Amino acid sequence: MTPATVAFRGARAGEAPLTWGQRLMWRAVHLMGPSQSFLNCPWVLPVYGRPDLAAVLDGLRALIERHESLRTTFADAPGGPVQRVARDGELTVPLVDAGAERPLAAAERLAGELGRAVFAHEREWPLHATIVTRDGRPAALALAFTHLAVDYQALALLSADWRRLLRGERLAPPPWQPMDQAGLEQTEPFQARSARAIRYWRSVLADVPLEVFDHPPGEPEDPRFIEVGMESVALAVAATRLAQRWTISTTSVLLAACATELATVSDRPRAVMQLVHSNRRDPRTQAMVGTVGQDGLFVLDLPGTDFAATCQAAHRAALTAYRNAHYDPAAMTAMRQEIGLLRGREPDLDAFVNDRRDGAGWAALPALAPGADLAPLTSQTRTYVTNAWPGVRFKVFFTVGTAPGTGQLSLIIDTAYLSRDQAVSMLLDIEAMLVRGAAG
Amino acid sequence: MTDPAQVKLELADMIAAASDGVVSAADVLAARHPLSALGLTSLARIRLIDTIEDSFGVNLDLDEDLSSFEHVDALAARLAGLLAAQ
Repeated sequence: MTPATVAFRGARAGEAPLTWGQRLMWRAVHLMGPSQSFLNCPWVLPVYGRPDLAAVLDGLRALIERHESLRTTFADAPGGPVQRVARDGELTVPLVDAGAERPLAAAERLAGELGRAVFAHEREWPLHATIVTRDGRPAALALAFTHLAVDYQALALLSADWRRLLRGERLAPPPWQPMDQAGLEQTEPFQARSARAIRYWRSVLADVPLEVFDHPPGEPEDPRFIEVGMESVALAVAATRLAQRWTISTTSVLLAACATELATVSDRPRAVMQLVHSNRRDPRTQAMVGTVGQDGLFVLDLPGTDFAATCQAAHRAALTAYRNAHYDPAAMTAMRQEIGLLRGREPDLDAFVNDRRDGAGWAALPALAPGADLAPLTSQTRTYVTNAWPGVRFKVFFTVGTAPGTGQLSLIIDTAYLSRDQAVSMLLDIEAMLVRGAAG
Repeated sequence: MTDPAQVKLELADMIAAASDGVVSAADVLAARHPLSALGLTSLARIRLIDTIEDSFGVNLDLDEDLSSFEHVDALAARLAGLLAAQ
């Protein structure tokens, strides 16, 4: 089928320095080189109702016009990297017939394929789109974005916009865009906050062990990095129960469990992990499509008493991590290089946790009697090995998934340091820790 | 001079705003439950700290006891201490 073209014309054009969030991604895509497609964000927008092709293309046009991030290119300039917002342009959108496949399944597959391409950030729009048709009508939009343009919260905002645009609503452009954010980050209070965050990171980096694990690397698998996943209703129910018991978030409970497991496996009394953080605490950024996330540094000293104390300590450590997660990445890099000179090399901080759920809990867990024994639920738990990424460099990367009815916890490992059997046991240990805690 | 009662009212509004409407200023002022129990999340708390720092020009230290972030009276007292020290 002949591709369609979306011609857009937004409210303004401009050039600005990168925001802190964009700067972080800019560095990440360059560090990752050909593996940077790991950072792409595949996404599917279902076509609600029965609009024709023109209406769907018009919806996409409105989305791009509304959000400057979707018509931005990125480039190195003499004064540092910049974002360039175009007022107008055209996006080519291929059309693909779903054939025998369900349109949404086809769109998910196509979005995954689009997501494997590396973006040419200087000359390409930050999104690739394909329309999936069924019997000649548009049925879904398959998309992939560069992570420079969106984070997961931005994708949720786009989904909400999309629903309204297809209903024919006219939406005014959001007042706060990444160029505005870049300006704000140059101001004194933000610079002071950045300096404070960097002082905190520095205090941790000054004496954190240089390696995530003390043992030397062994013979890795090929591919070297694998992701082991677990789906456990028991994990979610137990974490929810514990969070309610101690009036903390399920995120704090999961952080406590993941950090305890890392400390146990690395045989250390302290776990240091980077906390992937949406960072949208400033109200102005809440409706902004852009990439705002920056990592926090989560430090948990195991109290050595009980899991309740660990969870309270994790709650406090998470607050400190969030608070110090908003900083100028260039200043952070400079500080880390300075630490590297002092200590002989930069400490390896390749242990991560990412809770992708945007609210605090799971919306669709099975109802159980209060106090019901959770151990039998663990018989439903399944584990599996998923994607292997050739170029990611994580030693340990926990991700909490967004499924509302079960606890999805996955773990990317570097097989030079951990075996896939160990990774599976780590996930099951975490489940057992929570189930035991909830019973106690 | 900052009026303590006025500061408390301002804080209650800030807490309500930081919570995205989950917690009302009236609930905060009634102070029958800790803010966590009312539904103030960790992120809302960080947002609140940012707002207090930006509005009053103070620096709040998270290494100190976090319990002052559970009741508006304790928070107002701590803020009064910081403002007096300026």
